[in-house]
Amino acid sequence: MTSGALIFQSVILGLLLGGLYALLASGLTLYFGIMRVVMIAHSAFLILAAYLAWWSQTRLGVDPLLSLVVTVPLFFAAGVLLQRGLLSRLRPATLTMMSVLLTFAIAVIIEGLLGYAFTGTQRRIQLGYGTANLELLGARIAVVKLIAFGLAVAALLTLYLLLKRTTFGWALRATIQHPDAARLVGIDTNRVAGYGFGIGLATAAVGGTALALDTTIYPSLHWHWIGPLMAIIVVGGLGSVPGAAAAAMVLGLTQSLLQIPLNTTWAQTIFYLALFATLAFRPQGFFGGRLAQRF
Amino acid sequence: MSERSEQGLRTEGLTKAFGGVVALDGASVAFRQGQVNALIGPNGSGKTTFFNCVTGMIRADSGRTVYHGRNITRAAPHAIAHAGIGRTFQLCRVFPRMSALDNVLAAVRPVGLLGRLRGARNRAEVDRARGWLTRLGIEHLVDVEARNMSWGQQKLLELAGVLMGDPETVLLDEPAGGVNPALLDRIGGLVRELNAEGRTFVIVEHNMDLVMSISDHIVVFDRGRPIAEGPPSVIRSDERVLGAYLGV
Amino acid sequence: MPSASDPATTSAARRPAVTPARAARGVLLLLVVVAALSFPSLAPNPYVLSAGILVLNYALLSTSWNFVGGFTGYISLGHGALAGLGAYGTGLLVTKAGLPSFLALLVAALVVAALAVPIGYAALRVRGASFVIVSIALVLVLLLVFQSWASFTGGSRGLTVPRPFPDLLRPEHHRVFWFLFAGLLALALLVWWLIDRSRFGLGLKAIREDEDKAESLGIPTFAYKLVVFVVSAGFTAAAGGLYALWFGDLDPVFQFSILTGSYLVLMALLGGVRSLFGPLLGALVVGTALEYFKVEYGSTPLHLVATGLLLAVVVLFMPDGVLPAVAAGIDRFRPAQQSIREVTAAELREQRAGGAAAETELAGARPGGAPATKEGA
Ligand SMILES: Nc1ncnc2c1ncn2[C@@H]1O[C@H](COP(=O)(O)OP(=O)(O)OP(=O)(O)O)[C@@H](O)[C@H]1O
Ligand SMILES: [Mg+2]
Repeated sequence: MTSGALIFQSVILGLLLGGLYALLASGLTLYFGIMRVVMIAHSAFLILAAYLAWWSQTRLGVDPLLSLVVTVPLFFAAGVLLQRGLLSRLRPATLTMMSVLLTFAIAVIIEGLLGYAFTGTQRRIQLGYGTANLELLGARIAVVKLIAFGLAVAALLTLYLLLKRTTFGWALRATIQHPDAARLVGIDTNRVAGYGFGIGLATAAVGGTALALDTTIYPSLHWHWIGPLMAIIVVGGLGSVPGAAAAAMVLGLTQSLLQIPLNTTWAQTIFYLALFATLAFRPQGFFGGRLAQRF
Repeated sequence: MSERSEQGLRTEGLTKAFGGVVALDGASVAFRQGQVNALIGPNGSGKTTFFNCVTGMIRADSGRTVYHGRNITRAAPHAIAHAGIGRTFQLCRVFPRMSALDNVLAAVRPVGLLGRLRGARNRAEVDRARGWLTRLGIEHLVDVEARNMSWGQQKLLELAGVLMGDPETVLLDEPAGGVNPALLDRIGGLVRELNAEGRTFVIVEHNMDLVMSISDHIVVFDRGRPIAEGPPSVIRSDERVLGAYLGV
Repeated sequence: MPSASDPATTSAARRPAVTPARAARGVLLLLVVVAALSFPSLAPNPYVLSAGILVLNYALLSTSWNFVGGFTGYISLGHGALAGLGAYGTGLLVTKAGLPSFLALLVAALVVAALAVPIGYAALRVRGASFVIVSIALVLVLLLVFQSWASFTGGSRGLTVPRPFPDLLRPEHHRVFWFLFAGLLALALLVWWLIDRSRFGLGLKAIREDEDKAESLGIPTFAYKLVVFVVSAGFTAAAGGLYALWFGDLDPVFQFSILTGSYLVLMALLGGVRSLFGPLLGALVVGTALEYFKVEYGSTPLHLVATGLLLAVVVLFMPDGVLPAVAAGIDRFRPAQQSIREVTAAELREQRAGGAAAETELAGARPGGAPATKEGA
């Protein structure tokens, strides 16, 4: 393969990866916007969804994409419960710190339960179309990656329409931007916040399924994801969904291109470099995010 | 500029917008050094935002703040405090899980490494802190945690803490908000006393009786900028002020 | 808690005579010291002694963590990484630079403390969540680096650190290190105590309570947070270095483990972050349990579940820790504790008798003394 084609392939792969990052980071951004909560368990739920997809495929013979019918509502409910039942019980004064610990605890519990139920063995979904490739101008793109990207785009689009076109979306945005004012105009901010968390976790269900399509999964994989996701929401400007999406594409692309000269692990450090540099030199992030001023 | 403006606190064209809401709209104000100044205006006219910008708690979009001829616009809040400007908050802020004594001692400003490592509860400072608590009439609460105090007591405690820092200029954001009439008189009396001792005051207040009785100079805010200023007698009969309050 | 005894002479500055509480505390401290000194001779076998050292190591790490967590309220999940840096720093300085063991430890601790300046700058410049994010990211990125950079760090094969006392037999080795760990812990406790009672410490605690308010009172909050973070990092790294010299074998997976960081948080929270000995107590409980379960059941995923559950329970139900919760429980049964309010009420009556009218009004404004309901909260 010529190096030109290699770079082209990396760009395509980077964009596909960026799409998935964007979807996953959007959930993290939502939580932060709603409650100033850094939801460490987001990626653990992601892996949980991936395991559920794998399980339904290997044990029940159901296509992973079909498992979404169950996992999305399930995760939505879990998100609402998480916010209403646990996070909203924390004292506001220490919410930021304590919510991190609480969601960290949940992540660890999920990891432990996954390890207990499925052992630490690495798992991978075997699909009929799993090894199919698409040739495009000399670049080989796995079909599953395209499907994953398609899922991410569809979910992001749904999220966008939900936020911009529905009454609920209006209430959610109002709650994020000015909770007191939102309450004044009669929005039940508590309920909206609960549903917001539900939507956030629902994105993890979609993302996890997309992830399961072409990734080997194991219980502690979520640590591998939470770092990049945190980097993305910081670089994007905490609280800004479009900012996070832009940062996700840029960082996904950079990571993919860096994998040409470096190995995968070193390429991953770009996220952390971007994270530290952003916080040190431009803490409000690079892609807008008015909330950042207040964090 | 007259040389008087080099004395004390003044702002030039302070502007601050929150999204679409313009909270401060080019506010230029010069306060009278050594006097009790009042800053009044209808709800939402930007008084608190003005205090926040002056004390560096939020950064103004444009404009400057000058204190004794020194530009303090971009200084950190603690540096502004060190320059001699103390403030209280509209929604009374104290350290809830610290005793009254510690609340006041926290305003001590040590210098150098050794100064900072010195015991917080040393004799001289504890006596000074107790002095302020006594003067404000809450000496009996010295060991009580702030969160266990009533609203009025917390307001007094907050003031004691600010005064412990020995500010030359004191900004009070609604000192009479939510306190009973007796306490109101005490606060009014105290302000006059402290003013006689040489402290300048800027007081945001909605209670017009209090404002008219204790202030020497009144600045009226409307929609983020001053619309009138003068002594109480003049302000009382100013039509623009009436208009602003009645929303004409 | 100084109790308001005699209104005429009470002053927090003037030391009260030996009160029962003070005496009890002194006796307790003495007991702790005696226990620490005699443990190596009492331990039935080297295994128990080495398990004890592990617990002591946790106590040291958790106390070091508490410089940041306890004073400022900023919770770091990344202190495991600082310890790992100290350990690897010490190990590499001994193996690659040929420095004497304990000089290497000192240099490593100082280097990590210096590194904590830029890290703290990024983490603390803006308030709140960024600190946690940086702390977690620190662990994750260092794990990546130390695993990948095999030529320098030994990668996943690990790094062997030569023993500082090659002539000592195993039990003797443990015994010496027990005292080294205990000594470092004593130093950390001493420094924590000094800060706790200092003006600097009061400023830090003000930050914990309300950072904006602290800043507006003139406390340079960023500088204060940064300094205490650096102190904390230094102690944590020293603890890691000591561990490297004792254990002699480093593996990135264990040195840069986010789980280690969360154990430290759990210990400190459990014991109470506001008290000097809280983290130590928490480490005794959690550390012992960790070692016990490891021996009895090996390493199973259920450890994770148990850790997570315990952390969640502490965060939800006793964020102030077990020690303060117990203390509050005891106070409820101790009549003397109510004296704060009753004496206050008595004082009030005195003041009313001879005081100004305004003061009477003020007293009337108090809702029947401070609300008693908040006492146990
Ligand atoms: N942090 C903020 N975010 C968004 N809007 C704000 C913020 N702070 C103030 N505002 C808006 O700015 C305007 C001025 O508010 P400000 O609190 O300064 O008024 P004020 O004169 O102090 O009113 P009051 O007398 O009610 O205390 C208001 O419209 C308010 O809603
Ligand atoms: Mg106001």
